[in-house]
Amino acid sequence: MSRTRVSKAVAIALAATAAAACGGGGAGDDGKIKLSIGLFSDFGYDNLIKEYQAAHPGIEIEQRKVKMEQHHTQLATQLAGGRGAADIVAIEEGNIAQFRQSKDKFVNLADYGAKELQSQWTPWKWAQGTDGDFVLGLGTDMGSLALCYRRDLFEAAGLPTDREAVGELWPTWEDYVKVADQFTAKKPDVKFVDAAQNVFKAALDQTEEGYFAKADDSYIADTNPKVAQAFKLAASLGEKKQTSALTPFSQDWNVALKQASFATTTCPAWALALIKAGAGDEAAGKWDIAAAPGGGGNWGGSFLAVPKQGKHPKESYELAKWLTAPEQQKRIFKETGNLPSEPAAFKDPEVTATVNEYFNAAPVGQIFGTSAENLKPTYRGTKDAPVTLVFNNALNRVETGKQTADEAFQQALGEARDAAK
Amino acid sequence: MTVAPARSSGTGTKRPVPPPRAARQPWRLRLGWWDLKVTPYLIIAPFFVVFGIFGLYPLLYTAWVSLHDWQLIDGDQGFVGLANYTELLADQHFWNALGNTVSLFVLSTFPQLLAALGLAALLDRGLRGRAFWRAGVLLPNVISVAAVALVFAQLFGRDFGIINFLLGLVGVDPVDWRAETWASHLAISSMVMWRWTGYNALIYLAAMQSVPKDMYESAMLDGASRWRTFWSITVPSIRPTIMFTAIVSTIGGLQLFVEPQLFDPGGTATGTGGTDRQFQTLVMYLYEKGFRLFDAGYSSAIAWVLFMIILLVAVVNFTLTRRIASKG
Repeated sequence: MSRTRVSKAVAIALAATAAAACGGGGAGDDGKIKLSIGLFSDFGYDNLIKEYQAAHPGIEIEQRKVKMEQHHTQLATQLAGGRGAADIVAIEEGNIAQFRQSKDKFVNLADYGAKELQSQWTPWKWAQGTDGDFVLGLGTDMGSLALCYRRDLFEAAGLPTDREAVGELWPTWEDYVKVADQFTAKKPDVKFVDAAQNVFKAALDQTEEGYFAKADDSYIADTNPKVAQAFKLAASLGEKKQTSALTPFSQDWNVALKQASFATTTCPAWALALIKAGAGDEAAGKWDIAAAPGGGGNWGGSFLAVPKQGKHPKESYELAKWLTAPEQQKRIFKETGNLPSEPAAFKDPEVTATVNEYFNAAPVGQIFGTSAENLKPTYRGTKDAPVTLVFNNALNRVETGKQTADEAFQQALGEARDAAK
Repeated sequence: MTVAPARSSGTGTKRPVPPPRAARQPWRLRLGWWDLKVTPYLIIAPFFVVFGIFGLYPLLYTAWVSLHDWQLIDGDQGFVGLANYTELLADQHFWNALGNTVSLFVLSTFPQLLAALGLAALLDRGLRGRAFWRAGVLLPNVISVAAVALVFAQLFGRDFGIINFLLGLVGVDPVDWRAETWASHLAISSMVMWRWTGYNALIYLAAMQSVPKDMYESAMLDGASRWRTFWSITVPSIRPTIMFTAIVSTIGGLQLFVEPQLFDPGGTATGTGGTDRQFQTLVMYLYEKGFRLFDAGYSSAIAWVLFMIILLVAVVNFTLTRRIASKG
C-alpha cells in the first residue's frame, strides 16, 4: 500500500543521516572548519581547492558532485527540509530565476560585501545573480555561443571546411537552414544537426525576451513573434528529417557523436568538454568551431550561492568570492574551457590566445571571447525551465514525425500556459 | 461507599478468581503474568514505532499537505481544501498517466505471471544443476533497477539499438521505441518482466514443492498428460500463492517509476515519459509535479489518489481471493 511513501520516508531518513554524517559544515575533530561545495558537471575546482586549503590551513573543503539535473532537485528538497544542503551551492542559469523566488533560504551576499565586487562581472551576469539589493549568487562561467561542425562531413558534402568560411555560410538562421538543404542533398544518410531543440534554443536565446516579459515576468510566449519564428525555423529542419531527434547530452546523443551521425551542433563553451567526451579520441581534429548564425548568444553558465542553513556563511562567502575572482576564472578556462563571465578574465591575452587542440586547434579564447562581448542575454522567467521543456517536447514530436509543426506548436502553447502558472 | 461493595460482589460472583489474590501472588508469578501479557507487544512494538514514524506519519502528513497550496521550497501558502483534488480530476495529464499505468501494468503483469508459472514448472522437474538454475532466475532481480533500465534503454535505442538491428535482419523497419506509444509500453513491460519473472517463479516453485506427489502419481496412472496435470493439479493447488503474487505485482505495477523514467532519454531531469507523455506513469507525474515543478500540494494529492486506487484494487483482489479460496 504505502511502499512509495515508506521508501520516500526512508529516502528522507537516509538523506538526513547522510547530511549528519557529512557534518553539514560543522567543525571537525581537528578544529578545522569544514566547508562543502555542491556542484554538477565540471567546474574545474579540483586544483583550486587544494590551493585554497594550503593557503587557509584552518579550512577543509569537500566537493560534492552530482549530475546537473539531480543537483537542482536535490537542492530544492534540501532547502525545503532545512538541512542537508552544501555550504556553497552552484545554480545554473536556467534555474536561477526559480531559486530567486526563494531567496529567503539563501544568505544575502551583500551582507558580506559582495556589492564591492559588482564591477568584476559583465553587467548582465551580475544582474542574473541578484534581485534588487539582494545578492543571491556570484557568477562563475557563462555559455557564449558558437556552432560546432564536423570537418570531414562538411568536406564530403562539398561545403567549405575552414572555420571562417563556414561562419560566413550562415550569417542568419535562415542561411543555416539553406546550408542544411545543401548538405542533405549531398549526404542524405547523415543528419545535419543533432536536435531541433538546440537550434530553437540558440535562436531564441539571441532575443531579449523569450517566453516571459522582462518588465513583469508575465508569460508572453503565445504573443511573442520571436517564439513562433524560432519554433517554425527549428521545426522545418525536423520536418525535413534533417535532425537526429536526440535529447542533447543524453546517452543516445553520445552514441550518435561517436558514430558521427550528425554534422553540426550548437556549442556553448561548456559543451566542448561534453562533445570531446562523447566523440572520443578517434574524432580528435574532426570537430571544429565556427561562429553561430545570428551573432552570439548566451546559453548556460552558473552561479555560486550560499544557503542560509550553513553554519559558516562568512567563510563560505570568502571561498565563493575567491573561486569566482578573475584570476581563478582564467585558470579554469585554460583547464576545462569554461568561459569566464568577467571581462577582466575573458579579455585577458592569456585567455584570448587559448586554442583547443581537440577542435582542430580552434582559437576558442577568441571565438567565445568575442561572442561574449556582443552578447545580449535573454530574460529568464521564473518558470523558464518547465516552459522550455514543453517546447522541446513539441519539437521532438515534429522530428519523430508524430505531428506537424503547426499541431505541435498549438499543443505546446496550451501546455506552456499551464506550465507557466 | 455503598455502591462500591455491591459492584465488587456482583463481579465477584461471575469471576471465580478475585483480584485481591493477585496481590498475594509471589513476584515471580506476577512477573510471569506481565511477561505473558506485555512481552509480545514489546516485541512487535519496534515495527509499529518504525511504521508510525516512516509510514503512518508521512502518510497523514501527505494528506495534510494535499489540502494546501504547498510549494516544495517555500512551504505552506494557505489552505485550499479539496482544490488540488478537483483540479486533478479535470487534469488530462493525470488521466493519461493513469491510463498508461494500467496499460503498462496489464502488459507486464499477465505475461510475467504466466511465464513465471511455466518457469517454475520447468524448475520443479528434476533438472541437473538445480541450484544453479534456481539462483539464475533470481539474478535479474538482484541487479540494480537503474542498471537494468540503462541497459534496456540501449537495447531499445532507435538508431543503434540491438533490437532494431535484429529486426532489420528479418526485414522489419526500425521502430522508434520511445516515440510510439505501444512500442514504448512493450519495451518498458519487457524490462519489468525481465526483473520480476524469476522472482515470481521462485515463489511458485516453493508452493509447487508442497503439492503432494501422490496426486501426480495417480494422475499419471490414469494416463493424464503433463499439460493436463499441470493445469488440473499444480495450478489449483497453488492458487493462494498465485493470488498473492497477483496482489504484490499489482501494487508494484501501479507504482511503476524507475523503469519508465530512465527509459526517457531526459531521465529524471526533463523526462516526461516521452515527448507526448506516452509512457508517463502516475508516479512519474507525481515526481514531475512535486520535484520538478515544486508543487508539493498537487503532488501529494496525486499520491493520495494513487493510494486510494491501490487500496481499491487490493480490496477487489482480496474479495476475489476469498471467493476463489472458498470454491477451492
